[in-house]
Amino acid sequence: MAARLLRGCRWARAGPSWAPPLAAAAGLGLWPCRGSGSGSGSGSGSGSGSGSGSGSGAAGGAELAPLLALGFSEAQALRLRAAPPGRDPQRRLRAAAQLLLLGLSAEAALRALEGCPDLLRLTAGQLEARAGYLRRLGLGQGQLPRVLGRCPQLFSLRRKQMEAVVRLLRERCLFTAEQLTEVLHTCPGVLLREPHHLQLHFQYAYFRMGVQQKAMVKARLFGTPFAELRSRHVFLERLGLYQTPHKGQTQISNPKLKAILHLPEEDFLASLARSTPEEYEVFKKLLAREEEEEEEDDDDEEEEEDDDDEEEEEDEEEDRDALYAEGDNNSDSRGTRS
Amino acid sequence: MAALGGGGRAVTLLRRGLVLGPAPRRYRYKKKWAATAPRVPSTRLALQSFDMNYGLQLKEAWPSVRVSLLCEQKYGALVNSFADADRVAQELELLNAVDFISGAAQKAQRLQQDSAVEQAGRGSASREAPGERWAVKQAETPPLLSAPITSNIRCYTFPRGDITRFRPARPDTLGILNYYLMDAASLLPVLALNVQPDDFVLDLCAAPGGKTLAILQTGFCGHLAANDVSISRTKRLHQILNSYVPKQIRETVCVTSWDGRNWGELEGGTFHKVLVDVPCTTDRHSVMEEDNNIFNRRRSKERQMLPMLQLQLLVAGILATKPGGEVVYSTCSLSQLQNEYVIERAIEIAETEYDISTRVEDLSHFRALFQDTFSFSSDCRLGELVLPHLTANFGPMYFCKLHRV
Repeated sequence: MAARLLRGCRWARAGPSWAPPLAAAAGLGLWPCRGSGSGSGSGSGSGSGSGSGSGSGAAGGAELAPLLALGFSEAQALRLRAAPPGRDPQRRLRAAAQLLLLGLSAEAALRALEGCPDLLRLTAGQLEARAGYLRRLGLGQGQLPRVLGRCPQLFSLRRKQMEAVVRLLRERCLFTAEQLTEVLHTCPGVLLREPHHLQLHFQYAYFRMGVQQKAMVKARLFGTPFAELRSRHVFLERLGLYQTPHKGQTQISNPKLKAILHLPEEDFLASLARSTPEEYEVFKKLLAREEEEEEEDDDDEEEEEDDDDEEEEEDEEEDRDALYAEGDNNSDSRGTRS
Repeated sequence: MAALGGGGRAVTLLRRGLVLGPAPRRYRYKKKWAATAPRVPSTRLALQSFDMNYGLQLKEAWPSVRVSLLCEQKYGALVNSFADADRVAQELELLNAVDFISGAAQKAQRLQQDSAVEQAGRGSASREAPGERWAVKQAETPPLLSAPITSNIRCYTFPRGDITRFRPARPDTLGILNYYLMDAASLLPVLALNVQPDDFVLDLCAAPGGKTLAILQTGFCGHLAANDVSISRTKRLHQILNSYVPKQIRETVCVTSWDGRNWGELEGGTFHKVLVDVPCTTDRHSVMEEDNNIFNRRRSKERQMLPMLQLQLLVAGILATKPGGEVVYSTCSLSQLQNEYVIERAIEIAETEYDISTRVEDLSHFRALFQDTFSFSSDCRLGELVLPHLTANFGPMYFCKLHRV
């Protein structure tokens, strides 16, 4: 079974000099393999073929060897041992092995373990299960390791929270399954976000900017922080270069969301906004202050100030209940449909 | 504008001060009681109108002005010289605010010294080659540059790009407030007026009183007549005078509530300096505030008659000036219809109807002194226009100085 799993894996190509890392791990008795025995000696012999066990110190050598057997280079193995400190080395080994099995490269697995110590709390089974869930969401063979490598926190995320976000994106934001997969692939961090805030982000782009889901996916909307989107959009709006689309009224052609989000600031200012960096700096400060005061006003429930810039929007949207539904703070419930 | 079309009709209207309806009511939009929001708010109507007009007028510069109008404006703190002015100035300097008027005065001195040196240089050069070099034009030192700006007015602002706010004014031990927060650009017409000691000054549309207060700060006013047609706004003017000016000085001020258009006939030719700060579409207020918005559909007639009203007021102001006196016309709008157009027509009417000749003073040197603090338009063919800019979010303010010959 291990061999079958390895068939798609890159180490299968490496040739006979590489003892399949799994076999080595199995040989060490670490792997909860169903079929294989517990021949402890057989695997380690082949593992030492990389000839590094002798180099490191006596105590470290015992730990490094299995890591090297898995496929890490010496430097990587040292790093792995160093971080996170004080943890059970067996668990570290198991986690590293599972990550490699899922298709991450050695470097990616290393970074994941360094960056996200929570991984070590999870069993290999849990890691596998989470990967399975993501696979069911549509992430394919090549995409899954990339997603997991970029965002290892996905492993330790609570299942309910992740499901809430997925539900939000499918049912409230009305992304299709393909679009959802694409979003997960390009911005895996979206699953980590709080659903309420995510919905606000989506609603801003959909209603206030008039952008459709297709464009959102292409522009990787959720990859950019909401504050940056808002400041660039409001800047363009107040310059008169962006108008919320209205049915039946001739509008200027708005700049594309992709251009707004992806241009670096100098290019954005030079080509889209046609403005200067000094003005944009001052504008950002002013906008931040406006937002602060809006929040204070909402908290105090005073309505004396008419300062908000929402005067521009008077959209008459179609009756789409899902899009209109207020985000619920309790991510588990189905929420109230307005 | 039909009202300003035929010369004959305009003359009749001007001659007999025809009352154009009662004073406008306060068009307060009461949000609490309104069942629904207005379908198209006046602020949006204002913005649409500006996009159309100023887009054509300012062309490439309009987006920058537009975003500044829609963002929070910047204030200046006019130091009350009747309170403990030096202490107030010190406190403000601790906050990193800068008195832009003294900055301008220093710049003026430097420029004067430079031009004096230049003249001396030229003089010596001409001695060497008298025939040719003498053709060189003498450097004219315009009056505003040569008379140093020792108007005693001090106004602090934060530097370009700094968006700190001033704290509200506090009363001192005598009960008068320490500074007055206003749009710093509003001081420029007052500075351009260049009040000299013992001048008689008329402020034709004085309320709510910022510029009136500034005129009093110069300390040069022999007598100040402050007038505004609206009684409720005159009350605000009284409040400001009570809070800022001690009793003794207040006695030199005469506050009235007459219709300014009749002033020429009542007291023609009596003032050295006249400030005509006419009612206008108050661009900044119109895109931000729903209350009292002149772009409200019910006030569209009033808005269309504005240029006519402004013209009448300016002509009355010219009539009220002594020969040799000066009139400063100012609005807080960008519209050419309310600015250059009114000036041109007023000069024409003064010439043809009243046989008064006036000339427009060149304020470009004046403008050069304040270029660091404000953002000026370079396209104004008459007068000066302060444009709002995000780093210097003052204005809009148009002002033009006329000299009665």
